[in-house]
Amino acid sequence: MLSFFIASCAATGPKFAELSSSISTWPPDTGRIYIYRTTFLGAAVQPEVELNGEVIGKAVPQGFFYADRKPGDYEVLTSTEVDRRLSLTLNSGQVRYVRLDISWGFFVGHVFPVLVEDEVGKKEIQECRYVEYKKTEKQSEKKEPGDEPQ
Amino acid sequence: MAAYQSKNKRVRNSAEILLIIVLLLNACAFDIIHVRQSPCQIEKGKSNRKPFRLGKETQVTLDTGYSRKLKDGVRWDYVGVIPLGEVFRTNDQILTVEGSNIFEAYIVVSSGKLVGFYLPVQKAFSPISDPIELEMIELKHIQ
Repeated sequence: MLSFFIASCAATGPKFAELSSSISTWPPDTGRIYIYRTTFLGAAVQPEVELNGEVIGKAVPQGFFYADRKPGDYEVLTSTEVDRRLSLTLNSGQVRYVRLDISWGFFVGHVFPVLVEDEVGKKEIQECRYVEYKKTEKQSEKKEPGDEPQ
Repeated sequence: MAAYQSKNKRVRNSAEILLIIVLLLNACAFDIIHVRQSPCQIEKGKSNRKPFRLGKETQVTLDTGYSRKLKDGVRWDYVGVIPLGEVFRTNDQILTVEGSNIFEAYIVVSSGKLVGFYLPVQKAFSPISDPIELEMIELKHIQ
């Protein structure tokens, strides 16, 4: 029963290791931000993840997604009963790894983004599965051309 | 009548106490660990400080209670200067300042001591209460 519940909450896409060769390049003059969640703790708590105000994915246990963006300043935001923010810079050609951790909350756990070392991110993301995020109609209307989240 | 009023008062008091508890818990658990920061401009190229390597690992306790390690041997490159010191950044380790939120950070050094952090996204200085002596081994520019 428990394993069924955990499985139903976890990401189901292809593993990073299987996808890595097909996603290893990104547009010139951009950097990449990988966002992933390893822990099953608080598996039912799966907030959306925003990057500079745009929803780009969901914090699904053992899931990952990524965004290719121009160099600049970025803020990753997760909202449960509180907002948790991580601010980071991104350079051209740079890869950043953001892990979504969980801490205790009052009614529900708090999912919060943490910037991790490249070696740690590269290792931890291997077993995560790709999470495809489908925008709602309302979000799609706000989409800017050429700024498609991955 | 008196009993009814007394019951009403008890209910109101209980509701008030519950509201206070909820507000306190919200404040305690969720958003009170603020990273102290003040906006500042970084002036690039004002001096031409050489990069340095850290001679030993240095443990930093942030004013928020979190701690960070500046790793031994990491190279720090000069970025610029702010009124409170010189700003250095590294590509060899991730450095963040953490409270309720997390901010990527560079170090700010004055007279050989770590005096705080520069937050490049917020363009702000975040001080530490007790400056820490750093073992700085100066490098030539290309090394």
